[in-house]
Amino acid sequence: MENRRDTLKIIGAIGATCAFPFSADELYAQHAHTVPTTAPANAAGPYHPKFLNGTEFETVSIVADLIIPPTDTPGATAAGVPAYIDTVLDANSEYQHRFRTGLKWLDNTALKRFGKPFRQLDERSQVEILTPLSEAVDKGDARSEGEIFFRAMKSLTADGYYTSRIGLVDELQYKGNTVLAAFPPCKHPEHRE
Amino acid sequence: MGRKVYDVCVIGSGAAGGTLSAHLAQMGVDVVVLEGGPKINTRTAFNTHAMPFDFASRHIPTMRPGVAGFDSERTRGVGGKTMTWNAVAWRFGHRDFKGRSIDGAGEDWPIDYPDLAPYYDRVEREVGVCGNADHLEDLPDGIFLPPVPFKCSDEIIRRGAKKLGVRVIHVRKATRSVASATRPACHFCGNCMAGCDVVAKYNSADVHMIPALKTGHLTIVHDAVAYEIPVSDENRVTGVRYLNRTTQAEGEIYARNVVVACACVQSVALLLMSRSRLYPAGLANSSGALGRHFIPHFTGGVECFLTDLIGKPTTDDEGFLDHAYIPSFMHERKRDYARSFGIQFNYQNRRAVGWARSMPGFGKAYKASVKQRYPAFLTFSPYGEMLPNPQSFIDLDPDKKDAWGLPLARRHVAWKENDRKIFADMTRWSLAILKSAGAEIHEVSEEPRTNHELGGCRMGTDPRRSVVNADCRTHDVPNLYVVDGSVFPSASEKNPTLTIMALAARLASYLGESLRKGEA
Repeated sequence: MENRRDTLKIIGAIGATCAFPFSADELYAQHAHTVPTTAPANAAGPYHPKFLNGTEFETVSIVADLIIPPTDTPGATAAGVPAYIDTVLDANSEYQHRFRTGLKWLDNTALKRFGKPFRQLDERSQVEILTPLSEAVDKGDARSEGEIFFRAMKSLTADGYYTSRIGLVDELQYKGNTVLAAFPPCKHPEHRE
Repeated sequence: MGRKVYDVCVIGSGAAGGTLSAHLAQMGVDVVVLEGGPKINTRTAFNTHAMPFDFASRHIPTMRPGVAGFDSERTRGVGGKTMTWNAVAWRFGHRDFKGRSIDGAGEDWPIDYPDLAPYYDRVEREVGVCGNADHLEDLPDGIFLPPVPFKCSDEIIRRGAKKLGVRVIHVRKATRSVASATRPACHFCGNCMAGCDVVAKYNSADVHMIPALKTGHLTIVHDAVAYEIPVSDENRVTGVRYLNRTTQAEGEIYARNVVVACACVQSVALLLMSRSRLYPAGLANSSGALGRHFIPHFTGGVECFLTDLIGKPTTDDEGFLDHAYIPSFMHERKRDYARSFGIQFNYQNRRAVGWARSMPGFGKAYKASVKQRYPAFLTFSPYGEMLPNPQSFIDLDPDKKDAWGLPLARRHVAWKENDRKIFADMTRWSLAILKSAGAEIHEVSEEPRTNHELGGCRMGTDPRRSVVNADCRTHDVPNLYVVDGSVFPSASEKNPTLTIMALAARLASYLGESLRKGEA
């Protein structure tokens, strides 16, 4: 057995250096918790789907915006949710199957009931198809391909939207990740004992 | 070239290894710490202040790009889990040490609160624990920095709990609420568990080990994955054999005493891997108790929305995660089980909105309902004490190996009747307190999950039923010690780290004294 002394690193000699040679004030000054301004997932420019094909990506975008629509803040698609979903699908074979069969089910249902694929329907018809799926999911009773797809689609839409800058900062008004000199105590007498 | 023989080799650099090695070095003992992971620059290594949208996957990795660390359970890095812990720091009380004598279940510790009290004192002085003296029988007070104020949501919980006669106290954390000469006060950015890059929160590397390097008696060998503790024919361990984390090159450290402090499961695994003629079933395992009596805490959980805060403006209230705690309150109440639970709550940060998945409906109403509830979201995470049972143990996987060709450790956990009763009762009490505080319940965990791994090398007086004695020395081998969560004979319901550190401080005092007298 070779005895490799070179892997033995003795670092005692540099130990005299203090790990934190700054006063608290200096530390705060150099320690600005600015929220980064670049967000790769939301970057401008067209996204090229890796897993979904063109029409699938279009349908996913429509459903995402039906789940989280634009209001006084942008909706799911503007927040990059379809790209996020495609990224997740690309790395997750279980979800891939669920989405492929689910998207087919959506189009078949749309064709049967309205004579057109889902993405070409008006919003009212689209909502009509999605509503019973959502109700089954809310009851904890998602069984059919469509219901199982909707549950996955809604989960990924919520994840993608509320972890985006638009969803977390603009919509939900996230205010954390800052430097506070002191933690502000509760100023609401109605919260007290 | 004569080979260097250290007085003490400590395997692991977390709460136990860091405290122990620093104390020994300060006593003039030549100590070497072996750590499987790399050296970590706390200021620059972690994605401390990242937001999920900085990453296409929306998942924030622990380390910055290209920085090694926290790659596996064996190779976290110098500082171990203290780098990413939440820093909750309770003392155990008499009831925690002597549970069996009190209610007949589980196992007593061979030591009691007064044995550890002076070491709790010392550790608290060194690490800086903020908290309030609450004068509770089962949660001894310590030496505290000022407590951190409650959040609005904590006040609402306190109001609800009080109606049921349940007390809410300030959390006690090894996080500085006021600056020291070398560490700033916490600035409440909510990133404690992502790696506190200013070391307002204690970690063993920056607070214990790096300052102790100045003594000239401490050597840290990082990137050294321990795989065997050799034992001589004279029944003495001689040091540690290891593999380099990246090159896999073999190396060996020689020491007069070896202390295993790799955190519960990995400590057990290392001893089980160290088979020899004397110890064919694993080092210090003549009793067969090694790996047995695995008693991790179990936790449940309730997610809810506080109605007082629904629709209110958001505030910057991530703080240092949880600011309050509900200590065990069942000891004075009638119940049909042994032991108890405590409730941690409000330690989610506001960057995780996973609960939005299960809000009903879709469309504008759904979006509005998530927004309204966002400032009101709160989680309850009760922790229960598990009793030891024969189906709960740690062993080595006979087939699966890790990146170094070493067997993976397996955890086997079976919850028995007493555990199930605690789980049901802590869920029931959580719901009662939340409802009393005016909460809308969102989701309730139906099944327990493990946390805070404890047991496997339990401490005891009987060498046939335990692995180490009251001094953390193995019954079998006179110069081999274990100090971490694995030595806990009973788990308490309280977060274990401060007790692990107090045990390490006590062992340092014992070993240092023995070495001084020429006995070790």
